[in-house]
Amino acid sequence: MAQRHEGTKLLDWEALKIGEQLPTLSYVLTQEMVDEFRAGVMDPEAAFPTISQKVDVRPYHLVYHDDGSVNARCAFHCYNPPVPGKRITVQAWIADKYARRGKNYIVTEAVSVDEDGRLLDRVITHELKQPSEVGKKWQ
Amino acid sequence: MAIARSYKVGEQIPSLTKNMTQDAINRFEKSGGATGPSQFTDLDTARNTLGTTSTVASGRMSLTFATELLRRYFGADVYNGRGMVDLRFLRPVRPGDSVTFSGKVTGVVKEANGCRVSVEVNASNQKGDVTAAGTGACVVPSGYLPAEE
Repeated sequence: MAQRHEGTKLLDWEALKIGEQLPTLSYVLTQEMVDEFRAGVMDPEAAFPTISQKVDVRPYHLVYHDDGSVNARCAFHCYNPPVPGKRITVQAWIADKYARRGKNYIVTEAVSVDEDGRLLDRVITHELKQPSEVGKKWQ
Repeated sequence: MAIARSYKVGEQIPSLTKNMTQDAINRFEKSGGATGPSQFTDLDTARNTLGTTSTVASGRMSLTFATELLRRYFGADVYNGRGMVDLRFLRPVRPGDSVTFSGKVTGVVKEANGCRVSVEVNASNQKGDVTAAGTGACVVPSGYLPAEE
């Protein structure tokens, strides 16, 4: 059952347009976020806490709601480690969509840039939009 | 002067093992600003959304571990500015799992700004089941590589 969220529309996979720009996201990366991220991944040198921000799918959820999703594939490109205290701006878009074995996937892509104009990273995520299908295999 | 590094196709990358806990998963999610219950942090939500009998770790945690594997291999000075990883998530990683990431060099190709070193990456749990598989790469500047003969 799709969860409703105020101001968003139910995903119509057939109608979703490849190339659709998603709302710009902006946030300040704090030292606390960095510390929490490093504790979570058990790596004191982890340089890209932007990974846990899920900045490609967060803008998607500003526009759409759906039945949930499972991350099927994710690619991450490193350009410059983000600096705590800097504001980060994210541009995200629908990069692709495809159906495989009767299941629908969408691909979101996002690029993060900090307030000094430094390109930080690029993330590309393939999400399966029928999460219970995967759950059946995962028992 | 940077220390010269060399890469050979077939070379194994030193493995990396992570012992997953619910606390680690919770902290990862919290660091990204997630506050409400999710399939990662709450058993009931996992049951209702996925139909699973446990929470699962976000695939992005495995993505981060693969990034660490490759950063340790290539060096932070190179990988953090010129590295990438691309993983398919094949099986869930759950609290209590021990997941080992490994890889090997599959290609070394000259590019305009150095050599692209390509690797394959795999992650397996304590049962030997592959939880994720994919590729990674890093463009290593020529100045870091042994001089050509």
